[in-house]
Amino acid sequence: MFDIIVIGARCAGATTAMLLARKGLKVLVVDRSTFPSDVISTHFLWPHGASYLNRWGLLDRVLEVTPSHTVVNLVNEGIPLEGTVPEELLRQYFQLFHGDDSGIVQRYCSVRRRVLDKLLVDAAVEAGAEVREGFAVDELLEEDGRVVGIRGRTRDGTRVEERARVILGADGRNSFVARTLRLPKFDERLKCTFAYWTYVSGIPLDTVHIHRRGRLGLGLVPTNFGQHMVLVFGPSEWGTTFRRDVPGNFQKALDFISPELGELVRGGQREERFYGTLDQAAFLRPLFGPGWVLAGDAACFRDQCTATGMSHAFRDAELVSTALEEGLSGRKPLEEALKSSYESRRRGQVASAYYDFVCTLAEMRPPRHDDLSLYVALRSNPQETNRFIATMCDVAPVADFFQASNIFLLTDVAKESSSQHPIFERFEATSRTYLQNPFA
Amino acid sequence: MEALNQRDDNELIHSLLDTAERAEKYLSNRSFSEVRTVPESREALRGFALELGATAEETSEMLRNWTTHVPWDELLALRHGAEVAERDEAALHGLWDFLQRELPAVHAALEEMSEPPHLRRSVDPDEEYALDKNLNDFYLPGGRDLLARTEEFHGWVEARRRTETWQYSRLLDAAPGSVASIRNDTGRATRGINFNSQDYFSLNAHPAIREAAAQALREFGPHSAGSPIVLGNTRYSEALESELGELLHMEHVMLFPTGWAAGFGSIIGLVRQEDHVVIDKLAHACLQQGARAATRNVVRFEHLRLESVRQHLQAIRARDSRNGILVVTDGLFSVDADWPDLVTLQALCREYDATLLVDVAHDLGALGPGGSGVLGMQGLLGQVDLVMGSFSKTFASNGGFLATRSEAVKQYVKLFAGTHLFSNALSPTQAAVVLRATRIVRSPEGELLRRRLFRAIHALRDELIGRGRTCMGEPSPIVPLLMGNEKLARITNRLLFDRGVLAFLVEFPVTPVGSARFRLQVQAAHTPEEARTAARIIDEAINDARAYMSSAFGTGLA
Repeated sequence: MFDIIVIGARCAGATTAMLLARKGLKVLVVDRSTFPSDVISTHFLWPHGASYLNRWGLLDRVLEVTPSHTVVNLVNEGIPLEGTVPEELLRQYFQLFHGDDSGIVQRYCSVRRRVLDKLLVDAAVEAGAEVREGFAVDELLEEDGRVVGIRGRTRDGTRVEERARVILGADGRNSFVARTLRLPKFDERLKCTFAYWTYVSGIPLDTVHIHRRGRLGLGLVPTNFGQHMVLVFGPSEWGTTFRRDVPGNFQKALDFISPELGELVRGGQREERFYGTLDQAAFLRPLFGPGWVLAGDAACFRDQCTATGMSHAFRDAELVSTALEEGLSGRKPLEEALKSSYESRRRGQVASAYYDFVCTLAEMRPPRHDDLSLYVALRSNPQETNRFIATMCDVAPVADFFQASNIFLLTDVAKESSSQHPIFERFEATSRTYLQNPFA
Repeated sequence: MEALNQRDDNELIHSLLDTAERAEKYLSNRSFSEVRTVPESREALRGFALELGATAEETSEMLRNWTTHVPWDELLALRHGAEVAERDEAALHGLWDFLQRELPAVHAALEEMSEPPHLRRSVDPDEEYALDKNLNDFYLPGGRDLLARTEEFHGWVEARRRTETWQYSRLLDAAPGSVASIRNDTGRATRGINFNSQDYFSLNAHPAIREAAAQALREFGPHSAGSPIVLGNTRYSEALESELGELLHMEHVMLFPTGWAAGFGSIIGLVRQEDHVVIDKLAHACLQQGARAATRNVVRFEHLRLESVRQHLQAIRARDSRNGILVVTDGLFSVDADWPDLVTLQALCREYDATLLVDVAHDLGALGPGGSGVLGMQGLLGQVDLVMGSFSKTFASNGGFLATRSEAVKQYVKLFAGTHLFSNALSPTQAAVVLRATRIVRSPEGELLRRRLFRAIHALRDELIGRGRTCMGEPSPIVPLLMGNEKLARITNRLLFDRGVLAFLVEFPVTPVGSARFRLQVQAAHTPEEARTAARIIDEAINDARAYMSSAFGTGLA
């Protein structure tokens, strides 16, 4: 009998298992994979994501083998912005969510999942959790309408049954736990991006570059093994024509969004095949019920376009492990603990505003005149640029930036004007051409 | 390391789908006994299994670990199964079984992954567009044709009107009491418990108020016929200035034609380009815009956070000892229903040679001892540098004022606030109404009205909170019911219109994006029973809106 069985040993699962084991609970964590193991992911960590790893004592291990940097470069229709999530907002974030702002770092890194997940699994083992890799869960055991355990197969095919007070489904977008319990999906937003990416060596850039032009975007991010992740994304309805010639359209998209970066990629050496998906519709699932809890992508999935999945999985891990510890130790009734320490922070107005923000971005409509004018105004305002970056990655509430007095004031005090940026010359005509699918 | 020239997953998924389709078609009119006995059929079955297995093997580990709902282990095992099935009956049956029973689900799952998801479901494009955008999306339109570039915004307004989610520009068909008969801007009529009007003491229906208006009308006619600086004021204006001065314990009061004019004018009257304004980020729009019009040196501070005011004052004074600083805040905040610690704020201002301006539009009259508002509640009557307000919440009329202890300030602002100097004065009727209202506010009847008002406020808040809803701020005539998500709020509002409650949905620019709320404005004429009934109807409408949108948000508003 375990206190908790965690299904899924990746960003949300292994970390929750580790945190709960550190609190002295008896934890079993199972995963069908054996580690190291890769999975589709933006594998990007924003500063709050990196801060969580640092709070748990794991960041150094990641940074030993992973490049990191301290600023992000955003370019929208040729309008560049550079900045970072400010320390003050990071502190406020950690205070708000966890009542504790220790260990924060202003670092960004992109870490391959076959590197990171192995490290997280090892950390769970070190913390005293029992980890079973190559373990396939076939069934959830239910008694009196309550989930009480799992039935599954070990690597060598032996059938086993394990019981626990709570089962945590940290098993991703296509969660077995959620499907078995037939949990509904809420707030589904079907419009999303298609994303294609690969890994290229020999690119001389050491910070993350995110560029947007028209309905397309690219990401160029230094990651492990001396490589860069090169990512192209656009509206999912263009994905079906894009995939008719992936290598050709990939380069075509890069050259369209940024000829300079397209040239850099052309001069590099592609090290792996192309990967791609357009299966990114956003949804929420209920967070907990009798005997079960969900965390990470299983509980809330959003499009890749803000690359916040891993940072959010870590946030879930800290929140849900706090709630579970409160509940399982008997200090609070379990349901009350999950409601007050987990659900209230995941389903409130800040979370819902960010969800809308990402889902709207994921539609990949051509940038609006409003957006671009705002970026021009931000260029002379590092403080608000940084708040904007913090808003993009869900460190600062959407409401703090998109607030009338802020937006009006921002444009009032702007020092740069639209005349310095060619996109404004024939904005409407250009916007219309952006609606054409270039891959058709 | 996976080879560079492997096919990408989507190509492989298509190949799997293609094989699955052919296999399903082939097997659909065959039995296992045929497959077992007819060598051609057996070979075909094995062929499909081999193809599926080999293609599955080529897919990336990334994809397989992401799509855990696809039985990849079984798919991968097909190749081996197909080899064995040449001789082995059980293996052949295994293949048959998988292709018959599992393949259709695999087929569906793979298909779902490879097609753009929004093509799966049809939505009402108007409603999607109406719900999706916010006003800030239209703030900075492009193009040199000022008129034509409003069309895009108008398209959105039309979408919202068609879907009855446009909460603006409603019309009254009769006087707005605790119940009102109204039409929305598409002309559809309804009647409901009215939290959509600003008349905290319900003075609009008060016989003495109506009589004061009638008398002034008979006496002076409807027109003030000039700027207050020329000959627009009447003896009602003079009496009103002195009555307000007594209420506020401030000797010098000047009148403006609207509350907006008072806020905007007070700031532009006093602040010059090199001066500074330090303003609460949620202060009323007339103050924000006045600040921006007066100077580029505007700093917004976090709502109510005085520590942040101190930091800003310190920083400004560290580099500028020569120019003025105006600190600006509301008394009762009109969409958050809270107020600052004015004692500390005024002291802070003195410490840094800054001047404090407080907008008491929503609290004066309705709150505090003798209707003295937040200033009276904090024991600050006559002690704050500048006080401005509006008559339109409690005093049953348009109009606003600025109050000061300094005659010089009054005379100066009169000539330098364009909204005073270059605007027609309050009408005689308006001045007479506000004068009468101020006397009621200060009278024993005023105490009675405040008690009635607060009974309704408490009934409304208690019922909403008891139903698990979030009412922001402190008990006051403004009861902000937090909704957060605009989509949910707009659908709730559409439902409320036909269910007998009139509530004002506030969203950007009144509130920040993602912080929509219903601003319920309570009147003394509301009975506690009406308030409870309304709360029940609102609660049910929110539940129905959440079900309609299948939304999980709004459970833990914070």
